Amino acid sequence: MKRISLLLYILSFFDFAASAQEWIVPAENGAKLSPFAFTDSTRKAGGDLFNLNCKACHGDPGKNNSVKLIPPPPDPASEKMQKNSDGAFFYKVAEGRGLMPSFKNTLSATDTWKIISYLRGFNDKYVQEVAQKAAPGVTLEQVTMLLSWDNEKKQVKVAVTSLKEGVRQPVAGAELKLFAQRYFGNLQVDEVRTTDNQGVALFNFPATLPGDSTGMVQLLVKPTDEAAFGETKTLATMKIGIPTYRPPLNEQRALWNVNKKSPIWLLLTYLFSVLAVWALIVYVMLQLRILFKSGEENDPE
Amino acid sequence: MNDEKLNTNTGKPGKALDSADSRRTFFKRFGLVGAAAAAGGVAIYSGYSYEENKPNHDMVKVLTADNKLVEVPRDQIKDVKFDQTRLQKQGREGLAGRRFVMVIDLAKCRNARKCIQACQSAHHLRPYEYHINTLTMQESENTAPYFMPKPCQQCDNPPCVAVCPVDATFKRQDGIVLIDNERCIGCRFCVAACPYSARMFHWEEPLAVEGDKGKEYNIELNVPQKKGTVSKCLFSADRLREGKLPYCVSSCPNGVYYFGDENQDAVTNGTTKETVRLSELLKTNGGYHLMPELGTKPRVYYLPAKNRLFEGPVANEKV
Repeated sequence: MKRISLLLYILSFFDFAASAQEWIVPAENGAKLSPFAFTDSTRKAGGDLFNLNCKACHGDPGKNNSVKLIPPPPDPASEKMQKNSDGAFFYKVAEGRGLMPSFKNTLSATDTWKIISYLRGFNDKYVQEVAQKAAPGVTLEQVTMLLSWDNEKKQVKVAVTSLKEGVRQPVAGAELKLFAQRYFGNLQVDEVRTTDNQGVALFNFPATLPGDSTGMVQLLVKPTDEAAFGETKTLATMKIGIPTYRPPLNEQRALWNVNKKSPIWLLLTYLFSVLAVWALIVYVMLQLRILFKSGEENDPE
Repeated sequence: MNDEKLNTNTGKPGKALDSADSRRTFFKRFGLVGAAAAAGGVAIYSGYSYEENKPNHDMVKVLTADNKLVEVPRDQIKDVKFDQTRLQKQGREGLAGRRFVMVIDLAKCRNARKCIQACQSAHHLRPYEYHINTLTMQESENTAPYFMPKPCQQCDNPPCVAVCPVDATFKRQDGIVLIDNERCIGCRFCVAACPYSARMFHWEEPLAVEGDKGKEYNIELNVPQKKGTVSKCLFSADRLREGKLPYCVSSCPNGVYYFGDENQDAVTNGTTKETVRLSELLKTNGGYHLMPELGTKPRVYYLPAKNRLFEGPVANEKV
C-alpha cells in the first residue's frame, strides 16, 4: 500500500513537472544566430510582421495585454522571454508547441529573424551577435541544385554543387527539403535529407502521389539552412506522379443537373405528356362551350 | 348715390386716358429693361452651362497595369465595368480539373469566431447572418460537448439544386454549389431541401456597404447581396480562382481548417500553411461526413474532437 502511494506521489510529481515543463530547445538550434545585423529597418519590418502574425494572441509587447488563454501567451517583451537566446526564439516560433502554432511554413527564416529583431528592440541590455558568414572552406556562392530521377532506385536525386575557386565542386552535408507543388501550397515529400560526399541526396518519392493528367509533378527543392545558402530554390517538372484525370463533377446525368444533360427521349416524352394533358383540357372546354351554345339556341324563350 | 356713381363714371375714362399714356411708356421702358435682363440672364446661363459642360482637361496621374505612372485628362477617364457575361460564364463553369475539399479538425476549434467574421465581411452580411456558423454540439448526455463550424457541405448529390425551379443554384465542375442571385426568385425550396440548414434567406434589404451601389454583381462572391433571394457559403469561389485559400480558412487562428484539391490528394492548413496528404489525414484521424446516410456526398470532412488541448464548451445541464 505504502509502495503504491509512493509511486502515486512520484507519478503526480512527474505529472506536475509535465504541466509546467520547460520548453527545451536543442542546443544546436539554441546557438543559431541571425545571418544579418538588426537595424531600424529590420525592426520596422519585424513590427509589421509581428502585428500580422503574433499580435492576435501575444498582444502588444510590453503592454501585457495578451489574450486570456490557458496557458497565457507570454508578453514577448517580458524578462522571461528575453532570456531566450536568438536561436531559441527562432526555434520556438518555427516549431510551435501546444497552442502556439508552428510558423515554419508561414514565415520565411528571414521574416522570423526580422520579428526577433523587433522584439529585441524592447530589451535595452541586448547586444546582438551576428552569425559568421558560411563555414570556412565552402564558398556558398552560386549554389546549384540539380534534380533528376533515378529510375533504378525509384528515387529523386538532388546534386548540389557550388563554385569554389572557379571550379564546380560538390557540397557535402547540406540539408535539403523536397516538395511537390500543389494548388494551395507545397507538400513535403519524404523527410529532410543530407547530401553525401558527392554532394548527392536521395529522396523517396511516394508511389501513390497523383500528378496531372499525364503524371507530371512539379518539384521544388530548398536547403533548410537559409542563413548559409540564402533563399535559393530549384524547380523541376518530372513525370513521376500517377496520371490523374477525374471527370468534372457536373458531367454525369443527375436529377440536379442542367436540362441539356437529360436524354432526348425523356425530354420528348415529358413534352408530349404535358401537351397531351393540355390538349385534353382544351378539348373538354370546347365541348362544354358547344354544349352551352346549343342549349342557348334551343331555349324555347 | 347717383351723383357719386356718375362722378366715378365720368372720372374714370379721363383717368384711363392719362394712364394709357403712362402704361405705354411704362411698357416701353419695362420692355427695354426686361429684354436687357433676359439677354443678360441667357448670357450668364450659357456661360454657366458652358463652364459646367466644358471639357475638363485637368491632368490626373494614373498607375497603369504595367506599373507606369501616366497622366490623362480627367474627362477621358471611364469607369472600368466588369464584363458581366464573362463573370457569369466563368462562375457557371468553375475551375477545370479541380475538386475542392475542406477538412475541419474539431479537436482544434475553440470558437474564436474569426472564420465567421471574415466570411461576413467578405460577403457583406450582418453579424446575425451566417454562411458559416460555429455550433456547440453534444451527441448524448454523457459525451463531451465540442464546437463544430458548419459551412455549406457542397454536396456531390445536392438536394438543393435538384429542387430549384429556375436553375438559379447549380453545381460546377470543381464541386462548388453556387447561387445566381440575379436568377433566384426567392421561393426558398432549396432552403427547405438542405438537410444541413446551410442556406439563408435575405429577408431584409442587404447590409449596405460603401461602394456596393452600382457595383457589378459577382456570382462567385454573391456581392452585392439581393433582398428576397437566398445565399450561402460558396467556398470563396472568387479566392480559389486566384489560388488563395477561402476567407474563413485563412483567418482561423487555431489551425482548424484544411483546404485543398482532392485530385491532387493534398490539403493545406489555413493557419500553419502546412500541406498534407488528404488521404493520410483522413485515414489517421478518422475523418467522417455529416449525415452520410442521406447520400448527399458532402465535400466537407470532419475530424473528431479528440486530444483537445483546451477546455471544451460547457456541457448541457443534465435533466
